[in-house]
Amino acid sequence: MKIPAVTPTTLLAAGLLIYPLIFSGPFYLDIGVTFLLAAISASAWNIVGGYTGQVSVGHAMFFGLGAYAPLLCYTLFQWAPIAGIPFGIVFSIVLAVLIGIPTFRLTGHYFSMATIAVAELIRIYFGTWDLVGAAIGLQGPATARGWWDLTFRSELPYYYIFLAVLAVLLRLTFLIERRRFGYYLRAIKAGERAARSLGVPVQQIKIKALILSAVFTSLAGSLYSVKTGFIDPESGFGILVSVQMVIIAALGGAGKLYGPLVGALILIPLQTATNTWFGGGGTGLTFILYGGIIVLIARYEPGGLFELWERIAPRGWRRKNAS
Amino acid sequence: MWRFRVLKAAAAAATLFAFSAAEPVMAADVVKIGILWPLTGNAAAAGQASKAAAEVAVDIINNAHPELGDDLPLAKTAGLPNMGGAKLELVFVDHQGNPSLAQQLATRLITQDKVDVLMGAYQSSCSFTATAVAERYGIPFMVGESAALNITGRGFKWVFRGTPIASDYARTYMRFFGDMKKQGKKVDSIAIVNENTDYGTSVADAIVEEAKKANIPVAIRIPYIASSTDVSAQVLQLKEKQPDVVIFISYTADSILYMKTMKNLDYAPPMVIGDDTGFSDPSFIPAVADVAQGVMNRSAWAIGKPGSTTYKINEMYKAKTGRDLDDTSARNMQSFFALADAINRAGSTDPEKIRDALTKTDLKPEQLMMGYEGVKFDNTGQNILAATYLIQLHDKKYELIWPDKAAEAKLQWPMAGWKK
Amino acid sequence: MLLLQVIVGGLLLGAIYALFSSGLTLIWGMMNFINFAHGEFVMLGMYVSLLVVMWLGGGPAAFGFAAAFSLFVLGVFVYLSLIRYVLRGPMLSQILSTFGLALLLRYTAFWIFSANFVSLPQTSLSGTLNVGGVLMPVPQLVAGVIAILLTIGLHLMLTRTKVGSQLLAVSEDRGAAMLMGIRPDRMQALAWGLSAGAAGIAGALMAIAYPWSPSVGETFGLTAFVVVALGGFGSVPGALLAGLIIGLIQALSAFWFGPIYKDIIVYALFVALLWLRPQGLMGKA
Repeated sequence: MKIPAVTPTTLLAAGLLIYPLIFSGPFYLDIGVTFLLAAISASAWNIVGGYTGQVSVGHAMFFGLGAYAPLLCYTLFQWAPIAGIPFGIVFSIVLAVLIGIPTFRLTGHYFSMATIAVAELIRIYFGTWDLVGAAIGLQGPATARGWWDLTFRSELPYYYIFLAVLAVLLRLTFLIERRRFGYYLRAIKAGERAARSLGVPVQQIKIKALILSAVFTSLAGSLYSVKTGFIDPESGFGILVSVQMVIIAALGGAGKLYGPLVGALILIPLQTATNTWFGGGGTGLTFILYGGIIVLIARYEPGGLFELWERIAPRGWRRKNAS
Repeated sequence: MWRFRVLKAAAAAATLFAFSAAEPVMAADVVKIGILWPLTGNAAAAGQASKAAAEVAVDIINNAHPELGDDLPLAKTAGLPNMGGAKLELVFVDHQGNPSLAQQLATRLITQDKVDVLMGAYQSSCSFTATAVAERYGIPFMVGESAALNITGRGFKWVFRGTPIASDYARTYMRFFGDMKKQGKKVDSIAIVNENTDYGTSVADAIVEEAKKANIPVAIRIPYIASSTDVSAQVLQLKEKQPDVVIFISYTADSILYMKTMKNLDYAPPMVIGDDTGFSDPSFIPAVADVAQGVMNRSAWAIGKPGSTTYKINEMYKAKTGRDLDDTSARNMQSFFALADAINRAGSTDPEKIRDALTKTDLKPEQLMMGYEGVKFDNTGQNILAATYLIQLHDKKYELIWPDKAAEAKLQWPMAGWKK
Repeated sequence: MLLLQVIVGGLLLGAIYALFSSGLTLIWGMMNFINFAHGEFVMLGMYVSLLVVMWLGGGPAAFGFAAAFSLFVLGVFVYLSLIRYVLRGPMLSQILSTFGLALLLRYTAFWIFSANFVSLPQTSLSGTLNVGGVLMPVPQLVAGVIAILLTIGLHLMLTRTKVGSQLLAVSEDRGAAMLMGIRPDRMQALAWGLSAGAAGIAGALMAIAYPWSPSVGETFGLTAFVVVALGGFGSVPGALLAGLIIGLIQALSAFWFGPIYKDIIVYALFVALLWLRPQGLMGKA
């Protein structure tokens, strides 16, 4: 039985679709694009971090690989950057497997520590590797050679491309939620030993989740570098890239379909506002705020705002939208 | 009921947007200059110092300062003479060293704040993305200090760079070594120790290339992470290779750490050259004066004798910040003056006219506060007359020792280090 | 000869690694919990030292004690206000809690102290000793030796004193410890205090010899993970041994391959350990 017309989902979709038509200035468009990018990365993280409970704090490693691949293909072979996207994805999958196999047999903390160490390792190494521009980084095409370079004057095309990717990712996550794979993920999150005793192939599922997450994170990275036209070790593999994914997903609600989206909806405008207000004289309060928010979420509401909402939302709404 | 809540949330989000986009009131004859610098984060100290320098420059231009002499353009008059005394207004933004944020802020400055020209951005990564935005919108962008070579090499029309770049410095060093060899000093091999972000890597790459052309072998090149706690291993590597000159391309803390570690490990090369930055920081000399006598440095900025224009500018800066003007901020200030001069000659805020005026810039050495040979941009936008002096630490201050025609003191070679 | 110099330098630094890592391994052993903010505790110890020197004009003994004490208090506070709640919660909140704490501490330090590197003004410990051709700067030497002594001291405290055996009992078997009348909550708070305190003193020791900025916490944290992984989670003697080894590997890598590679090699070692021998040299699996 289909839910008719106006639901939060359709409202959201409509809002996102018409946003650029209402807020059409280039600056607002950039905020919108930044928001979508953040939502995509955080939703990708959510698959392995939120649903499966494997907290990666070094997800930038996939983001960075995805970000470097297109610009590397452009710099080395003069290809259109998008041709490089599949490479980024392949590298990320390989990396996911290499990390997942040893660490997933141990308790969760090992995985988390390993993700930081590997992300740092790659970041430092890329800073020394001349092929990828070392510390200076890589640039994309300055002017478009054709539509395939995706170098647009206006950011409007980026907006809709990113929106499409987000929609695909969320749809995929939605399907996973309803299928056996999703149940396995949740079982693993609730308790690995119990899950194993119920016949869940824990190791395998965790790796699959990591691979899926890595693929979309890599894609997000590729979209980032194509749009920005620039990448270097810090913007690709830096710890702040990883932190942002985690905090956005956790704030909104890790393990919930729209959690990362909600988190991004709040944090990205907040960040922009902070940059504008404190602009010329700020002292980096943004990250103090991030740290504080993460601690509060961990202490009081690990389920993020979504869980908070579910606790205080009116009964009628909850019944209608029970998942 | 929930629909109402969703609407309330939407309203809240919209309000947040409205706040973040508050448009300032536009004044009539004002020329707006948007400046992107790192005001927080790792490079905050440099960003803040340059910000103060820009504010001093704006004061000099907007107000009449006849005491600074006739040569420094726009100092004598109040405002821009060719535009009826129009004042300059600065809009600072903090990109925090994040190139994506720099891109966003550049867009905001152009489309929201409606600035007439842009300047920035310190980190090369941020200069890359911000200048691309300027190029797309056709707004002149003056790069004051970023080192990476191809910021001005991408075929862009709207990007200009007033400061010397890595290859200029490298060539200066090689010319210096050439002079030293003629005087009978031994320069058979050099070592390069560079911090490994875009700054250190750009300069080190340029030095390696110029050294090859000058036939001076590089005994060892040591890239390191600027935030290292301990550099003994690096100093020991140098001790092993025994180069005649060690060139350091480092930030403040590491520069000091190296000098101290070299003393601790009893390593005294014949000469040390610091590539500005760390070696020029106000805290460097007090920290290492007793162990690093004779250390060389480069600077295009010299405070000069009391009563000179440069001395007076330094006094203005010191009154504002309590410190002497450093080379990087001074270079930014010079680029700023060149920009203002071009706007004045353009006589309008029309971007195409300003761009045109910039390409025709031809400032003579007397008109500058820096020791350049002039300011003239080639067709990639690079100032080809940018140059630098070499200075040496004598006692508690740096003295100009090269080139000979500008030298104030005699070169000490080998350097004394900590020995009396 | 130069090689010997490199080795000595590496061991002295490694001793300090051992000291702060021993705190981390203690927590892990007791509670199966990793403190992602551990590096920040070391960093705070360094800043406490700076403040003591600047405001009170204290010497090494003064700020060493101040760092140990203030960080001990902080450690207990963090446990009581945050950790003991998340211990019962999902993995996400466990990891997020100290991760968020790390960000909070690090960026608050950036805000208060700025990103500039600072170092202590010359203390009474200065100069360089020449022992058979090997040059040892006094600050590094003193820091390293004290670090080793303190780490051994911690181990002795854990194994020879009553309090120590209570801590270890909770590590081994919480339920049984409770039956013996030991209050696990109290012991865990104490463990956190000791862990942070050890990190604090390690910070003070480092401050004597090296410059720092708020960003060093990140690197120290990662180093601590590697040391603990190599030494074995839960083993203080393991941490001592591993700390020295890691310090040595770092110094040798920097000398043979270049300073950039020293970090790469150490992190790669970490990943290799996870692949091949997660229980480290002396830990319980």
